Amino acid sequence: MIEMEAADDRDAAAGEYVLGMLGADDRVAFEAAMVRDDALQSAVYDWQDRLLPLSVRTGPVAPRPQLWQRIDIGLTAVLSSSDPKPRPSTPPTPRDAWWRRLAPWQALSAFAVAASLVMGVVLVEKIANRPAAGDRYLALLQSPDDRSTGWVVEVDAGRGVRLVPVVPGTPPPAGKSLQFWTKPQGAAGPTSLGLVRAGERRELPVAMLPGVGEQQLFEITLEPEGGSPLGRPTGPILYVGRTVHL
Amino acid sequence: MPTSAPTPFDYEAAVLACARGERFAFRALYERECAWLLGVAMRIVRDRERAEDVLHDAFLQVWQSAATFQPALGSARGWLYTIVRHRALKEIRDHGRSLAVDPVELGEMSDRQQATAGGDDDRGLDPHALERCLQRLEPARRDCVVHAFVDGFTHEQIAERLQTPLGTIKSWIRRSLASLKECMA
Repeated sequence: MIEMEAADDRDAAAGEYVLGMLGADDRVAFEAAMVRDDALQSAVYDWQDRLLPLSVRTGPVAPRPQLWQRIDIGLTAVLSSSDPKPRPSTPPTPRDAWWRRLAPWQALSAFAVAASLVMGVVLVEKIANRPAAGDRYLALLQSPDDRSTGWVVEVDAGRGVRLVPVVPGTPPPAGKSLQFWTKPQGAAGPTSLGLVRAGERRELPVAMLPGVGEQQLFEITLEPEGGSPLGRPTGPILYVGRTVHL
Repeated sequence: MPTSAPTPFDYEAAVLACARGERFAFRALYERECAWLLGVAMRIVRDRERAEDVLHDAFLQVWQSAATFQPALGSARGWLYTIVRHRALKEIRDHGRSLAVDPVELGEMSDRQQATAGGDDDRGLDPHALERCLQRLEPARRDCVVHAFVDGFTHEQIAERLQTPLGTIKSWIRRSLASLKECMA
Protein backbone atom coordinates (compact mmCIF):
# COMPACT_ATOMS: atom_id res chain seq x y z
CA MET A 1 0.00 0.00 0.00
CA ILE A 2 1.08 3.50 -0.70
CA GLU A 3 3.01 5.34 2.00
CA MET A 4 1.19 8.51 2.98
CA GLU A 5 2.54 9.30 6.44
CA ALA A 6 5.59 11.48 5.92
CA ALA A 7 5.30 14.73 3.98
CA ASP A 8 7.87 13.53 1.43
CA ASP A 9 5.90 10.36 0.82
CA ARG A 10 2.72 12.29 0.33
CA ASP A 11 4.36 14.60 -2.14
CA ALA A 12 5.94 11.74 -4.05
CA ALA A 13 2.58 9.98 -4.12
CA ALA A 14 1.00 13.15 -5.54
CA GLY A 15 3.66 13.20 -8.28
CA GLU A 16 3.13 9.55 -9.09
CA TYR A 17 -0.61 10.06 -9.09
CA VAL A 18 -0.29 12.84 -11.68
CA LEU A 19 2.10 10.70 -13.73
CA GLY A 20 -0.48 7.92 -13.57
CA MET A 21 1.90 5.44 -11.96
CA LEU A 22 -0.12 4.38 -8.94
CA GLY A 23 -1.60 0.90 -9.05
CA ALA A 24 -5.36 0.55 -9.02
CA ASP A 25 -5.71 0.18 -5.24
CA ASP A 26 -3.29 2.98 -4.45
CA ARG A 27 -5.02 5.23 -6.94
CA VAL A 28 -8.39 4.69 -5.33
CA ALA A 29 -6.90 5.25 -1.87
CA PHE A 30 -5.13 8.37 -3.03
CA GLU A 31 -8.24 9.86 -4.62
CA ALA A 32 -10.23 9.17 -1.47
CA ALA A 33 -7.55 10.87 0.64
CA MET A 34 -7.42 13.83 -1.74
CA VAL A 35 -11.11 14.60 -1.26
CA ARG A 36 -10.54 15.24 2.43
CA ASP A 37 -7.08 16.72 2.23
CA ASP A 38 -6.58 20.20 0.81
CA ALA A 39 -2.80 19.99 1.08
CA LEU A 40 -2.78 16.82 -0.98
CA GLN A 41 -4.97 18.46 -3.64
CA SER A 42 -2.61 21.37 -3.69
CA ALA A 43 0.35 19.01 -4.17
CA VAL A 44 -1.46 17.40 -7.12
CA TYR A 45 -2.03 20.77 -8.80
CA ASP A 46 1.64 21.64 -8.25
CA TRP A 47 2.73 18.42 -9.95
CA GLN A 48 0.30 18.95 -12.81
CA ASP A 49 1.92 22.28 -13.53
CA ARG A 50 5.50 21.13 -12.97
CA LEU A 51 5.17 18.23 -15.42
CA LEU A 52 2.91 19.96 -17.95
CA PRO A 53 5.82 21.14 -20.15
CA LEU A 54 6.59 17.49 -20.91
CA SER A 55 3.48 17.58 -23.07
CA VAL A 56 5.45 19.50 -25.71
CA ARG A 57 7.41 16.32 -26.42
CA THR A 58 4.52 14.91 -28.35
CA GLY A 59 3.58 17.07 -31.27
CA PRO A 60 0.07 18.06 -32.28
CA VAL A 61 -2.13 15.65 -34.23
CA ALA A 62 -5.19 17.25 -35.79
CA PRO A 63 -8.35 15.36 -34.87
CA ARG A 64 -10.85 14.56 -37.58
CA PRO A 65 -13.73 17.05 -37.73
CA GLN A 66 -16.18 14.33 -36.68
CA LEU A 67 -14.58 14.24 -33.25
CA TRP A 68 -16.03 17.59 -32.26
CA GLN A 69 -19.42 16.54 -33.63
CA ARG A 70 -19.32 13.41 -31.48
CA ILE A 71 -18.33 15.39 -28.40
CA ASP A 72 -21.05 17.95 -29.07
CA ILE A 73 -23.67 15.23 -29.43
CA GLY A 74 -22.38 13.59 -26.26
CA LEU A 75 -22.63 16.90 -24.45
CA THR A 76 -26.22 17.40 -25.53
CA ALA A 77 -26.99 13.90 -24.26
CA VAL A 78 -25.27 14.68 -20.96
CA LEU A 79 -27.25 17.89 -20.63
CA SER A 80 -30.59 16.32 -21.40
CA SER A 81 -30.09 13.31 -19.15
CA SER A 82 -28.41 15.05 -16.26
CA ASP A 83 -30.13 15.54 -12.97
CA PRO A 84 -31.49 19.07 -13.07
CA LYS A 85 -30.32 19.93 -9.59
CA PRO A 86 -27.06 21.86 -9.38
CA ARG A 87 -24.00 19.70 -9.60
CA PRO A 88 -23.05 19.18 -5.96
CA SER A 89 -19.47 20.26 -6.32
CA THR A 90 -20.40 23.51 -8.02
CA PRO A 91 -19.48 26.40 -5.81
CA PRO A 92 -22.78 28.28 -5.89
CA THR A 93 -22.61 31.95 -6.61
CA PRO A 94 -25.53 34.20 -5.83
CA ARG A 95 -25.78 35.24 -9.44
CA ASP A 96 -25.88 31.75 -10.81
CA ALA A 97 -27.80 29.68 -8.32
CA TRP A 98 -31.24 30.85 -9.26
CA TRP A 99 -30.72 30.29 -12.96
CA ARG A 100 -30.18 26.65 -12.29
CA ARG A 101 -33.51 26.46 -10.58
CA LEU A 102 -35.04 26.92 -14.00
CA ALA A 103 -34.03 23.43 -14.97
CA PRO A 104 -36.71 21.53 -13.03
CA TRP A 105 -39.35 23.40 -14.97
CA GLN A 106 -38.10 21.95 -18.19
CA ALA A 107 -39.78 18.71 -17.23
CA LEU A 108 -43.12 20.45 -17.20
CA SER A 109 -43.13 21.46 -20.83
CA ALA A 110 -46.61 20.01 -21.20
CA PHE A 111 -47.77 22.70 -18.84
CA ALA A 112 -45.56 25.34 -20.29
CA VAL A 113 -47.78 28.33 -19.72
CA ALA A 114 -48.63 27.51 -16.14
CA ALA A 115 -45.05 26.55 -15.47
CA SER A 116 -43.79 29.80 -16.88
CA LEU A 117 -46.09 31.81 -14.68
CA VAL A 118 -45.02 29.96 -11.56
CA MET A 119 -41.42 30.14 -12.66
CA GLY A 120 -41.72 33.87 -13.02
CA VAL A 121 -42.89 34.15 -9.44
CA VAL A 122 -40.09 31.91 -8.23
CA LEU A 123 -37.56 33.96 -10.13
CA VAL A 124 -38.92 37.22 -8.84
CA GLU A 125 -38.59 35.93 -5.31
CA LYS A 126 -35.06 34.77 -5.95
CA ILE A 127 -33.96 37.93 -7.60
CA ALA A 128 -35.57 40.17 -5.03
CA ASN A 129 -33.02 38.98 -2.50
CA ARG A 130 -30.00 39.91 -4.58
CA PRO A 131 -28.15 43.14 -4.02
CA ALA A 132 -29.25 45.78 -6.47
CA ALA A 133 -26.81 47.11 -9.03
CA GLY A 134 -29.54 48.92 -10.96
CA ASP A 135 -33.13 48.39 -12.00
CA ARG A 136 -33.73 44.83 -13.04
CA TYR A 137 -36.11 43.35 -15.53
CA LEU A 138 -37.00 39.87 -16.57
CA ALA A 139 -38.60 38.55 -19.72
CA LEU A 140 -39.59 34.98 -20.53
CA LEU A 141 -39.27 34.38 -24.25
CA GLN A 142 -41.98 32.02 -25.39
CA SER A 143 -42.79 30.31 -28.63
CA PRO A 144 -45.78 31.94 -30.37
CA ASP A 145 -46.77 28.43 -31.49
CA ASP A 146 -47.06 26.52 -28.25
CA ARG A 147 -46.25 29.11 -25.59
CA SER A 148 -43.30 27.02 -24.39
CA THR A 149 -40.55 29.02 -22.76
CA GLY A 150 -37.28 28.78 -24.63
CA TRP A 151 -35.17 31.54 -23.15
CA VAL A 152 -35.05 33.94 -20.24
CA VAL A 153 -33.75 37.48 -20.56
CA GLU A 154 -32.46 39.25 -17.51
CA VAL A 155 -31.68 42.93 -17.81
CA ASP A 156 -29.77 44.69 -15.13
CA ALA A 157 -29.68 48.37 -15.99
CA GLY A 158 -26.39 48.72 -14.15
CA ARG A 159 -24.70 45.67 -15.63
CA GLY A 160 -26.03 44.22 -18.81
CA VAL A 161 -28.27 41.71 -20.45
CA ARG A 162 -28.20 37.98 -20.06
CA LEU A 163 -29.96 35.67 -22.47
CA VAL A 164 -30.16 32.22 -20.95
CA PRO A 165 -31.56 29.13 -22.66
CA VAL A 166 -34.12 27.22 -20.63
CA VAL A 167 -34.07 24.23 -22.97
CA PRO A 168 -31.15 22.88 -24.99
CA GLY A 169 -32.95 24.11 -28.13
CA THR A 170 -32.63 22.95 -31.68
CA PRO A 171 -30.02 24.50 -33.93
CA PRO A 172 -31.42 26.43 -36.90
CA PRO A 173 -31.63 24.61 -40.25
CA ALA A 174 -28.63 24.86 -42.55
CA GLY A 175 -28.22 28.32 -43.99
CA LYS A 176 -30.14 29.96 -41.15
CA SER A 177 -29.15 31.80 -37.99
CA LEU A 178 -30.88 32.75 -34.76
CA GLN A 179 -30.92 36.52 -34.21
CA PHE A 180 -31.68 38.31 -30.96
CA TRP A 181 -33.58 41.60 -30.98
CA THR A 182 -35.01 44.14 -28.61
CA LYS A 183 -37.46 46.99 -28.89
CA PRO A 184 -38.10 49.28 -25.94
CA GLN A 185 -41.59 50.69 -25.49
CA GLY A 186 -42.20 53.46 -28.02
CA ALA A 187 -39.14 52.69 -30.16
CA ALA A 188 -39.66 52.81 -33.90
CA GLY A 189 -38.34 49.32 -34.53
CA PRO A 190 -36.28 46.48 -33.13
CA THR A 191 -32.53 46.73 -32.65
CA SER A 192 -30.35 43.71 -33.33
CA LEU A 193 -28.42 42.33 -30.38
CA GLY A 194 -26.55 39.91 -32.59
CA LEU A 195 -26.68 36.24 -33.45
CA VAL A 196 -27.14 33.57 -30.82
CA ARG A 197 -26.65 29.84 -30.79
CA ALA A 198 -29.26 27.36 -29.68
CA GLY A 199 -28.68 26.34 -26.09
CA GLU A 200 -25.93 28.87 -25.46
CA ARG A 201 -26.20 31.83 -23.17
CA ARG A 202 -25.19 35.33 -24.20
CA GLU A 203 -24.18 38.23 -22.06
CA LEU A 204 -24.16 41.72 -23.49
CA PRO A 205 -23.20 45.08 -22.05
CA VAL A 206 -26.12 47.34 -21.29
CA ALA A 207 -24.64 49.90 -23.69
CA MET A 208 -25.75 47.70 -26.60
CA LEU A 209 -29.39 48.29 -25.74
CA PRO A 210 -31.30 51.18 -27.30
CA GLY A 211 -33.02 51.56 -23.92
CA VAL A 212 -34.03 49.67 -20.82
CA GLY A 213 -37.52 49.56 -19.39
CA GLU A 214 -40.70 47.77 -18.55
CA GLN A 215 -42.68 46.06 -21.32
CA GLN A 216 -39.53 46.08 -23.44
CA LEU A 217 -39.77 43.50 -26.19
CA PHE A 218 -37.12 40.83 -26.68
CA GLU A 219 -37.34 38.27 -29.43
CA ILE A 220 -35.38 35.66 -31.32
CA THR A 221 -36.10 35.28 -35.02
CA LEU A 222 -34.96 32.88 -37.70
CA GLU A 223 -32.84 34.78 -40.20
CA PRO A 224 -30.58 34.00 -43.14
CA GLU A 225 -27.15 32.77 -42.15
CA GLY A 226 -25.12 35.66 -40.76
CA GLY A 227 -28.22 37.60 -39.75
CA SER A 228 -30.88 39.72 -41.33
CA PRO A 229 -29.54 41.66 -44.31
CA LEU A 230 -32.06 44.45 -43.70
CA GLY A 231 -31.25 45.41 -40.11
CA ARG A 232 -34.72 44.39 -39.01
CA PRO A 233 -36.31 41.00 -38.47
CA THR A 234 -37.25 39.29 -41.72
CA GLY A 235 -37.96 35.74 -40.57
CA PRO A 236 -40.47 34.08 -38.28
CA ILE A 237 -40.45 34.85 -34.56
CA LEU A 238 -39.26 31.78 -32.66
CA TYR A 239 -39.46 33.21 -29.16
CA VAL A 240 -40.79 36.52 -27.89
CA GLY A 241 -41.55 38.15 -24.57
CA ARG A 242 -41.76 41.46 -22.73
CA THR A 243 -39.98 42.52 -19.58
CA VAL A 244 -41.46 42.94 -16.17
CA HIS A 245 -39.81 45.24 -13.65
CA LEU A 246 -38.54 43.38 -10.60
CA MET B 1 2.83 27.65 -14.32
CA PRO B 2 5.88 28.94 -16.14
CA THR B 3 5.03 30.95 -19.20
CA SER B 4 7.45 32.47 -21.66
CA ALA B 5 4.96 34.77 -23.32
CA PRO B 6 1.51 35.86 -22.29
CA THR B 7 -0.99 33.67 -24.03
CA PRO B 8 -4.15 35.43 -25.05
CA PHE B 9 -6.34 32.44 -24.30
CA ASP B 10 -7.57 32.38 -20.71
CA TYR B 11 -7.78 28.68 -19.87
CA GLU B 12 -8.92 29.29 -16.32
CA ALA B 13 -11.80 31.50 -17.46
CA ALA B 14 -12.78 28.92 -20.06
CA VAL B 15 -12.98 26.08 -17.53
CA LEU B 16 -14.89 28.25 -15.07
CA ALA B 17 -17.31 29.15 -17.86
CA CYS B 18 -17.78 25.44 -18.59
CA ALA B 19 -18.70 25.02 -14.94
CA ARG B 20 -21.40 27.64 -15.48
CA GLY B 21 -22.72 25.70 -18.43
CA GLU B 22 -21.35 27.90 -21.20
CA ARG B 23 -20.93 25.67 -24.21
CA PHE B 24 -19.13 28.29 -26.23
CA ALA B 25 -16.24 28.25 -23.75
CA PHE B 26 -16.16 24.47 -23.98
CA ARG B 27 -15.88 24.67 -27.74
CA ALA B 28 -13.15 27.28 -27.48
CA LEU B 29 -11.18 25.10 -25.09
CA TYR B 30 -11.49 22.17 -27.46
CA GLU B 31 -10.45 24.19 -30.50
CA ARG B 32 -7.48 25.55 -28.64
CA GLU B 33 -6.04 22.32 -27.26
CA CYS B 34 -7.49 19.37 -29.16
CA ALA B 35 -4.55 18.77 -31.48
CA TRP B 36 -1.97 18.84 -28.67
CA LEU B 37 -4.14 16.67 -26.47
CA LEU B 38 -4.67 14.18 -29.27
CA GLY B 39 -0.90 14.01 -29.68
CA VAL B 40 -0.51 13.24 -25.99
CA ALA B 41 -3.28 10.60 -26.03
CA MET B 42 -2.01 8.97 -29.24
CA ARG B 43 1.44 8.57 -27.82
CA ILE B 44 0.00 6.66 -24.88
CA VAL B 45 -2.61 4.49 -26.61
CA ARG B 46 -0.76 4.21 -29.97
CA ASP B 47 -3.87 4.24 -32.06
CA ARG B 48 -5.62 7.19 -33.62
CA GLU B 49 -9.14 5.83 -33.35
CA ARG B 50 -8.72 4.97 -29.70
CA ALA B 51 -6.99 8.26 -28.98
CA GLU B 52 -10.00 10.10 -30.40
CA ASP B 53 -12.25 7.99 -28.17
CA VAL B 54 -10.08 9.01 -25.23
CA LEU B 55 -10.42 12.66 -26.15
CA HIS B 56 -14.18 12.28 -26.53
CA ASP B 57 -14.55 10.80 -23.05
CA ALA B 58 -12.04 13.20 -21.54
CA PHE B 59 -13.80 16.29 -22.88
CA LEU B 60 -17.16 15.14 -21.56
CA GLN B 61 -15.43 14.59 -18.24
CA VAL B 62 -13.97 18.10 -18.45
CA TRP B 63 -17.47 19.49 -18.89
CA GLN B 64 -18.92 17.45 -16.07
CA SER B 65 -16.14 18.08 -13.59
CA ALA B 66 -15.34 21.68 -14.55
CA ALA B 67 -16.86 22.81 -11.26
CA THR B 68 -14.24 20.84 -9.34
CA PHE B 69 -11.37 22.78 -10.95
CA GLN B 70 -9.73 25.00 -8.35
CA PRO B 71 -8.08 28.00 -9.98
CA ALA B 72 -6.41 29.00 -6.72
CA LEU B 73 -4.35 25.81 -6.72
CA GLY B 74 -2.99 25.65 -10.24
CA SER B 75 -3.46 26.11 -13.94
CA ALA B 76 -6.46 24.95 -15.93
CA ARG B 77 -4.15 23.50 -18.54
CA GLY B 78 -2.37 21.29 -16.01
CA TRP B 79 -5.79 20.10 -14.85
CA LEU B 80 -6.94 19.47 -18.42
CA TYR B 81 -3.85 17.46 -19.42
CA THR B 82 -4.15 15.34 -16.30
CA ILE B 83 -7.72 14.43 -17.22
CA VAL B 84 -6.72 13.47 -20.76
CA ARG B 85 -3.60 11.54 -19.72
CA HIS B 86 -5.47 9.67 -17.01
CA ARG B 87 -8.21 8.79 -19.50
CA ALA B 88 -5.63 7.50 -21.94
CA LEU B 89 -3.97 5.45 -19.20
CA LYS B 90 -7.34 4.02 -18.18
CA GLU B 91 -7.91 3.02 -21.80
CA ILE B 92 -4.70 1.01 -21.99
CA ARG B 93 -5.17 -0.44 -18.51
CA ASP B 94 -8.68 -1.61 -19.36
CA HIS B 95 -8.14 -2.71 -22.94
CA GLY B 96 -4.43 -3.09 -23.46
CA ARG B 97 -2.13 -1.06 -25.61
CA SER B 98 -2.02 -1.14 -29.37
CA LEU B 99 1.43 -1.97 -30.54
CA ALA B 100 1.34 -0.44 -33.97
CA VAL B 101 4.69 1.14 -33.26
CA ASP B 102 7.72 -0.97 -32.56
CA PRO B 103 9.01 -0.41 -29.00
CA VAL B 104 12.56 0.12 -30.21
CA GLU B 105 11.39 2.69 -32.71
CA LEU B 106 9.43 4.37 -29.95
CA GLY B 107 12.52 4.55 -27.83
CA GLU B 108 14.39 6.27 -30.62
CA MET B 109 11.49 8.60 -31.18
CA SER B 110 11.57 9.48 -27.51
CA ASP B 111 15.30 10.14 -27.61
CA ARG B 112 14.95 12.28 -30.69
CA GLN B 113 12.30 14.38 -29.07
CA GLN B 114 14.32 14.58 -25.92
CA ALA B 115 17.20 16.00 -27.92
CA THR B 116 15.01 18.62 -29.51
CA ALA B 117 12.89 19.35 -26.47
CA GLY B 118 13.32 22.70 -24.89
CA GLY B 119 12.75 24.50 -28.14
CA ASP B 120 10.30 27.30 -28.56
CA ASP B 121 6.73 26.45 -28.04
CA ASP B 122 3.98 28.59 -29.44
CA ARG B 123 1.55 27.65 -26.73
CA GLY B 124 2.92 29.82 -23.98
CA LEU B 125 4.39 26.82 -22.19
CA ASP B 126 7.91 27.26 -21.00
CA PRO B 127 9.65 23.89 -20.93
CA HIS B 128 13.04 25.39 -20.06
CA ALA B 129 12.83 25.24 -16.27
CA LEU B 130 11.69 21.62 -16.32
CA GLU B 131 14.24 20.68 -18.98
CA ARG B 132 17.05 22.31 -17.04
CA CYS B 133 16.08 20.35 -13.96
CA LEU B 134 15.65 17.12 -15.94
CA GLN B 135 19.16 17.58 -17.34
CA ARG B 136 20.50 17.56 -13.80
CA LEU B 137 19.21 14.03 -13.28
CA GLU B 138 21.24 11.01 -14.33
CA PRO B 139 20.10 9.99 -17.84
CA ALA B 140 18.55 6.70 -16.72
CA ARG B 141 16.57 8.40 -13.98
CA ARG B 142 15.48 11.15 -16.32
CA ASP B 143 14.24 8.52 -18.77
CA CYS B 144 12.06 7.01 -16.05
CA VAL B 145 10.13 10.25 -15.55
CA VAL B 146 9.90 11.01 -19.25
CA HIS B 147 8.70 7.52 -20.16
CA ALA B 148 6.15 7.65 -17.39
CA PHE B 149 4.70 10.98 -18.49
CA VAL B 150 5.08 10.83 -22.26
CA ASP B 151 4.60 7.12 -22.93
CA GLY B 152 2.43 6.31 -19.95
CA PHE B 153 4.69 3.41 -18.99
CA THR B 154 4.20 1.60 -15.69
CA HIS B 155 7.02 0.90 -13.26
CA GLU B 156 7.16 -2.64 -14.63
CA GLN B 157 7.42 -1.52 -18.25
CA ILE B 158 10.19 0.92 -17.41
CA ALA B 159 12.05 -1.76 -15.45
CA GLU B 160 11.85 -4.05 -18.46
CA ARG B 161 12.96 -1.38 -20.90
CA LEU B 162 15.89 -0.26 -18.79
CA GLN B 163 16.78 -3.81 -17.68
CA THR B 164 16.75 -2.62 -14.10
CA PRO B 165 15.11 -4.18 -11.02
CA LEU B 166 11.61 -2.95 -10.27
CA GLY B 167 12.52 -1.76 -6.75
CA THR B 168 15.32 0.35 -8.17
CA ILE B 169 12.97 1.95 -10.70
CA LYS B 170 10.44 2.77 -8.00
CA SER B 171 13.07 4.42 -5.87
CA TRP B 172 14.59 6.27 -8.86
CA ILE B 173 11.23 7.75 -9.76
CA ARG B 174 10.50 8.89 -6.23
CA ARG B 175 13.93 10.46 -5.88
CA SER B 176 13.76 12.02 -9.32
CA LEU B 177 10.43 13.63 -8.45
CA ALA B 178 11.90 14.97 -5.20
CA SER B 179 14.89 16.40 -7.09
CA LEU B 180 12.66 18.02 -9.71
CA LYS B 181 10.51 19.59 -7.05
CA GLU B 182 13.52 21.01 -5.28
CA CYS B 183 15.14 22.20 -8.49
CA MET B 184 11.98 23.91 -9.72
CA ALA B 185 11.10 25.53 -6.41
